[in-house]
Amino acid sequence: MAIKTVLCVEDDRFIGEMYVRSLKKAGYEVDWVIDGNDGLVSARNKQYDLILLDVMLPERRGSEILEALRGKENLIPNTRVIVLTNFEQDEESRMAMEQKADAYLIKAEITPKKLISIIQQLDKI
Amino acid sequence: MPKPTNQFWPCFFGNRISALVLVQILISAGVGAALVLTNTVQIDSLMLWIIIPGLLLINLTFSILFFVNSTKPTKELLAAIMKVAGDLTDLTPPNPNDKKYERSGLGDALQTIYKLSSSRDNIPAGQALAVTDRSSSKTLSIAEALDTTTCGFIALDANHSIIYSNKSAPTFTNNEGKKELKLIFNGNDTLDDWLKTCEEKSVHDEHAWSRIPDRLPNEEGRRFFDVIASYQKGAAAETVLSLVDRTGAYIIDEENLDFVSFAAHELRGPITVIRGYLDVLQDELDGVLQEDQKQLFHRLIISSNRLSGYINNILNTSRYDRRHLKVHLVEDTVANVYDVISDDMQLRAGVQNRMLSVAIPKDLPTIAVDRASMSEVFGNLIDNAIKYSNEGGIINVSAKVYGDFVEVAIQDHGIGMPDNVVSQLFQKFYRSHRSRETVAGTGIGLYISKAIVESHGGTISVRSEDGKGSTFTVLLPIYATVADKLKAGNNSNESIIKVGSGWIKNHSMFRG
Repeated sequence: MAIKTVLCVEDDRFIGEMYVRSLKKAGYEVDWVIDGNDGLVSARNKQYDLILLDVMLPERRGSEILEALRGKENLIPNTRVIVLTNFEQDEESRMAMEQKADAYLIKAEITPKKLISIIQQLDKI
Repeated sequence: MPKPTNQFWPCFFGNRISALVLVQILISAGVGAALVLTNTVQIDSLMLWIIIPGLLLINLTFSILFFVNSTKPTKELLAAIMKVAGDLTDLTPPNPNDKKYERSGLGDALQTIYKLSSSRDNIPAGQALAVTDRSSSKTLSIAEALDTTTCGFIALDANHSIIYSNKSAPTFTNNEGKKELKLIFNGNDTLDDWLKTCEEKSVHDEHAWSRIPDRLPNEEGRRFFDVIASYQKGAAAETVLSLVDRTGAYIIDEENLDFVSFAAHELRGPITVIRGYLDVLQDELDGVLQEDQKQLFHRLIISSNRLSGYINNILNTSRYDRRHLKVHLVEDTVANVYDVISDDMQLRAGVQNRMLSVAIPKDLPTIAVDRASMSEVFGNLIDNAIKYSNEGGIINVSAKVYGDFVEVAIQDHGIGMPDNVVSQLFQKFYRSHRSRETVAGTGIGLYISKAIVESHGGTISVRSEDGKGSTFTVLLPIYATVADKLKAGNNSNESIIKVGSGWIKNHSMFRG
């Protein structure tokens, strides 16, 4: 299953723009939402191949969105989730998110180019 | 059901007196019968009715007096024992210094009992408290006193059930109405694990934990304790816990962690954008930029990479100092670890006009490593090698097997260090006089590198010659040698860390 459609949930304007621009250039279809509520609604309404999920989001934290989507039952079995954050979570919270996500990355440590190469790696699995 | 000690004396005394009276009546009756049968006295004579009751009265009086007198030392000893045990009793505890005891020599015996008890006093405080239902007014007042302190005191019996806890002790009542301990221990170093070891191996033992919270982060009213447990096999209160509330001291660190985390979050936002767009622009401007402009571009990229490296160093140091550093060890290769920083290092070396020669054999055994944090260590060491070597100098990165370890060496041929500098090198904020004047740096790179390597169960060392260069050597355990321990410990580093660093276990360490 090739990854084609991407939902980017990111409240930082510059960072969001940067990812959207690079992903679109690389040929992905990208929807971008800014707050957590919109993120959850979008993820439920449309089936994406990939969700890029920030943690520190207005309205609803990334961890809550992930819990809602993949908590008791997996509402998005055909969707990959990459958690992208710059926030140092405590061990328990981070492990909880890592278990439900396909990847957990620190934004400052990756560039759009690296992000795309990680998406391509996920595609191969 | 066994009777409590304080019922022994009334019971014993009553029984014996009754027996005595009965025996005397029988004796008197026997004497009367003998007199009548031998015809010494007529059954209807007044004589008989004077002799027999008289005999009974005299016998009874003397035997009771004798009995009371001869059991007196027993009673005194019993009173002394009951006082020592803290039982409720009507018996007056004897004064061992009394003249009459001195004459008879019982005083010494009483002294011995009192002495034995006072020498055990440190431990039995818990024991006496454990039996509050039949404790004397003295121990009750100790319990009241303990309720006024902010320190916690808890006594556990052999089944680990709480039999006493004072007001400040962190306990809660579970669904079955039983009191339970409310403390969140770290990893494998829990009270239960320690007690299990004690039960198997020790008669008496003590153990201390520091910074043990009673609630999870973000919960209201979270407190931190230093906990000291003492274990005495077979005692009524087998385990006694003393807890010192250190919330005041530790909460500041916790708040600082929040501050550092939030500060890092704020700093990383702009860095993400700078690094991201530099990467994007480097590709998109490839054909447009002049050669010297490309050089400038490289400088921008290196600077932003270093900036994010520094932030990671600061975050990790903050965690390490507050004992929150944790690495997640998995099977990986040295080559994979180096790969994370390879491009960045080549670029840094190239721009500073250093030759970076990397020779990592492909057939090395795998190591137990946290890839992201170990790549930071290699990055810190190579960064230093670049900083402290000369224009055009060669930096060698090599790896080989060394016993149960893989040895990674980073060698420069630069300015080197005198011995007195080498000995202080891994201290926090240490910068040599020379480097302070000539080379930029924070002085935490080597400090945190050592912490990270040691939390892998490895070692870091340096060989240096003034004016000729330095070689930093990192030894990391081969995965096969620690695989069993790691699996048992859920891939955390706890089980392979040597004594002294056993606390590096709580919370995360940065992972990209």
